[in-house]
Amino acid sequence: MLTRRQFVRGAVSLVSIGTTSHSLLKGAVAFAGMHPESVRAAGADRVLVLVQLAGGNDGLNTVVPFADGAYRSARTTLAVPEGEVLPIGDGMGFHSSMQRLHELWQRGKLAVVQGVGYPNQNYSHFKSMAIWQAGDPEVRLDTGWLGRTLEALEDAEHDPFLGFNVGTAPARELYSPEVAVPTVSDPDQYGVAFGGETVPGTDPRVRTLMKLYEQYPAASPHGVLLETTAETAVASAELLREAHQRYTPAVTYPETSFGAGLQVLAEAIVGGLGMRVGHITLGGFDTHSDQADRHVELLQTLDEGLAAFYADLAAQGHADRVMVLTWSEFGRRVAENANGGTDHGAASVVFALGGQVRGGLYGERPRLDQLVDNGNLGYTTDFRRVYATVIENWFGVPHEPLMGQRWEPLGFASA
Amino acid sequence: MYDLTGEVLARHWSRRRLIASGGAAAAAAALSVGAGLALSRSGSSEQEGTGDQEQGPVAAEAALNANQNGERGISDPWKRASHLLRRAGFGGTRAEIELYAALSPEEAADRLLSFDSVDNAALEERLRREGLTRDQLVRAGPRNVMHQQFERWWLNRMAFTARPLEERMTLIWHGLLTSQVTTLGSLAPLLLKQNELYRSLAVARYDDLLLATSKDPAMMYYLDTVRSSAAHPNENFARELLELFSMGEGSYTEEDVREAARAFTGWRVTPLPRPNVPEGATQRERQQALQEAVASWNPEWMLAPRLHDDGMKVFLGRRGNFGGEDIVAIVMEQEATARYITTRLFREFVYDDPAPESIDRLVDVWNRSGHSIREVVRAILAGDEFWSERAYRAKVRSPVELVVAAVRGLELGALPGGAVQAGRRRTSDSLTMLLDQMGQRLFEPPNVGGWPGGPAWLSSAALFARFNVAAEVTFPGGRPAAIPVLEAMGDAEAMVDEALLRLVDGDVPRESRDELVTHASAISDVRERAATVAYLVLCSPQFQLA
Repeated sequence: MLTRRQFVRGAVSLVSIGTTSHSLLKGAVAFAGMHPESVRAAGADRVLVLVQLAGGNDGLNTVVPFADGAYRSARTTLAVPEGEVLPIGDGMGFHSSMQRLHELWQRGKLAVVQGVGYPNQNYSHFKSMAIWQAGDPEVRLDTGWLGRTLEALEDAEHDPFLGFNVGTAPARELYSPEVAVPTVSDPDQYGVAFGGETVPGTDPRVRTLMKLYEQYPAASPHGVLLETTAETAVASAELLREAHQRYTPAVTYPETSFGAGLQVLAEAIVGGLGMRVGHITLGGFDTHSDQADRHVELLQTLDEGLAAFYADLAAQGHADRVMVLTWSEFGRRVAENANGGTDHGAASVVFALGGQVRGGLYGERPRLDQLVDNGNLGYTTDFRRVYATVIENWFGVPHEPLMGQRWEPLGFASA
Repeated sequence: MYDLTGEVLARHWSRRRLIASGGAAAAAAALSVGAGLALSRSGSSEQEGTGDQEQGPVAAEAALNANQNGERGISDPWKRASHLLRRAGFGGTRAEIELYAALSPEEAADRLLSFDSVDNAALEERLRREGLTRDQLVRAGPRNVMHQQFERWWLNRMAFTARPLEERMTLIWHGLLTSQVTTLGSLAPLLLKQNELYRSLAVARYDDLLLATSKDPAMMYYLDTVRSSAAHPNENFARELLELFSMGEGSYTEEDVREAARAFTGWRVTPLPRPNVPEGATQRERQQALQEAVASWNPEWMLAPRLHDDGMKVFLGRRGNFGGEDIVAIVMEQEATARYITTRLFREFVYDDPAPESIDRLVDVWNRSGHSIREVVRAILAGDEFWSERAYRAKVRSPVELVVAAVRGLELGALPGGAVQAGRRRTSDSLTMLLDQMGQRLFEPPNVGGWPGGPAWLSSAALFARFNVAAEVTFPGGRPAAIPVLEAMGDAEAMVDEALLRLVDGDVPRESRDELVTHASAISDVRERAATVAYLVLCSPQFQLA
């Protein structure tokens, strides 16, 4: 039978949806509508869901070195009491608000990479985020590391949801001028609406609008961006709405916007929208003050959300093809400040969760008796090794061309 | 050398070159349609003029010659005036555009900058009428409701002020010297005080603005200054002061951050008066008492000497027993601050990637004027870069600009929304809900870095929200709104041309105009036709840009 790629390349001019016919994207959408079984087959591919913990997550109070006396003396009020730690071995344990993730750890579904960072740590949120997003401490390219990965994946297939971002603003990790990535915050609001009622893409006003975007010259200011965004939006809306309407989660997601966002990602995965890379942000980790309560709440939101997401995917038979990866722009200062908080720090932890993830501890534990930069944890594992693991071992794409040099994968994903 | 394989590099670079080089040519091509249309409708003249016949003094100067950076100037007077009002304000009404089209760049800049002498009583009267006085705002109810009222208050100011540049500058400072309402919690009214501070120092010396910001109670709570002490300095404010508010990342060391943090220790605000809680008060009465106490509180900066570290500090190579004021003063002497702030202002008004020479000229003005924001903005607005084709539509409109420009361009009597919609998750005002979906709630930037802006405004979800806010303006509740300035036009063609002129300078490809005329002609009801035309033009790619 016809493959999606053949359809997209060959038959697009026959099946554009109401506007012009030059877009591969529209062909893919039309094809998905006509051949749902092919979507599911192609969707059997592996998926990465990237979770950004924005603000700088305190790795020390996430994966706690409770047996280390230096930890206790640096964290006079913030140290997690030993009795509240959920042990993972090696004198370390999860913060007690992460019970569900601890259970997944015990089942071997969760990998913890310790001491993740990069040379010459930058302590600015924005610079350090840009470094992680580009995958390069010098930020020499303006594309995201997953944007480049999407380009590589797109050579084999083309879907409007190949990359998919949950939120309001675009995700810079997923940025590539070659691959448009839809961004959705609430599927119910994702579409053209009048008086709160969504209208279909066949509405005459939508059709006229799309013509205005096609006629706007690509070389005019922001021309490529405007046209691809409008096209992506309209093309993805109806597919998403259908997936959203026919979706019944197998579990109840927590009533947080993080939980709601993860459910949208599950809808895309289970609904066969062809998503390979998803992205969602959990913010609020910049705990300069009152960290005790705020951090516990954030870890709990993370724990409940990811556990529900995993359970939902597992119940629907998709857990083995999905990996969740967390990251944060930096950790926090080892010593707490006077406001029951911690200032910007260096190395932190990365989690990888999934049915096919090889659980366990990776990387070397950073030493509390050998701090760098006046009181920060020195990194032991370059973050690009984590990326190499995902690109090469999870997606099967050679990482060197995308990362600029070769990095030793970590082994939490099997090839 | 970055060791990427040739293929990847080539793809990225070729794409970027295409995008970078293509803009000017296309803009020039599109101009031919726009200029003729704009001129035929501008002013009271009925004659079908050409560009030459109707060029005012603005266009006569420098318009067609390349400037010192080799950029061609915008020639059409309507486009020039409209461009100016989009950037220095929030878009013009037809009368305002005609007025500014007759001025030289210097006259136009001067008129916009001399806002102190412009009577704004009509705006204040409107705010009273809408129940948006300061006293009402700070007692508006729970924080969520109060926040929405704050937004409505400021959006009304932007839409109906007689001093557009004053509001524009206030928004610029809010986006740079940020604070977030969610962080302040029950102290949200302090953000109004901060907003009033930014308005009052909108074009002052940057030294004064930066010091006043450092001592602003909302900022002091937002970035933890009020909780920093000699024993445990909190670095939050010191870091953002250097990184975001003055010098920029990379021009200081981590040691400078720590030393600056010591200097700001012991900075506090005068205490909140004890809430007047009657005996046996219910939880609700306690809440109200607290809200009333915050509402009538007017905190001022103060120093708590015992919490202040008055020891020796080394900051940017200088030694002394510095206090916070000294840190601000030293920061203001830095070349890095001059370049960072002038670059920021250039980007706000002109385009994103100025040539070093453009910034050199502004740094010169900055130094000669004693760091006067007024003089730097004057130099930017009178500069050739501002009036270049390269600057035209180079910026992506922010969501608040989009909403306000729609109201002004169509001369609507009021902002859209305001009605409570049941069942929404976080907000109830349909306008603030849409602003949230577009990614810009006033008083709530995403983080201390403010709104990234530019292409980041244009996610697919945000574009739908932009379309849907246009529907809220033109089809509130699904029914066509009254838009007298369009309904007055006779036929579909005239109506389309009027909407295009008012909203996008009449500068669209001819086929797009024809498309709109065809669409409009099929609608017989005049009100529905006008609302539809307005909707389509507000959603057009051209209107997304400023």
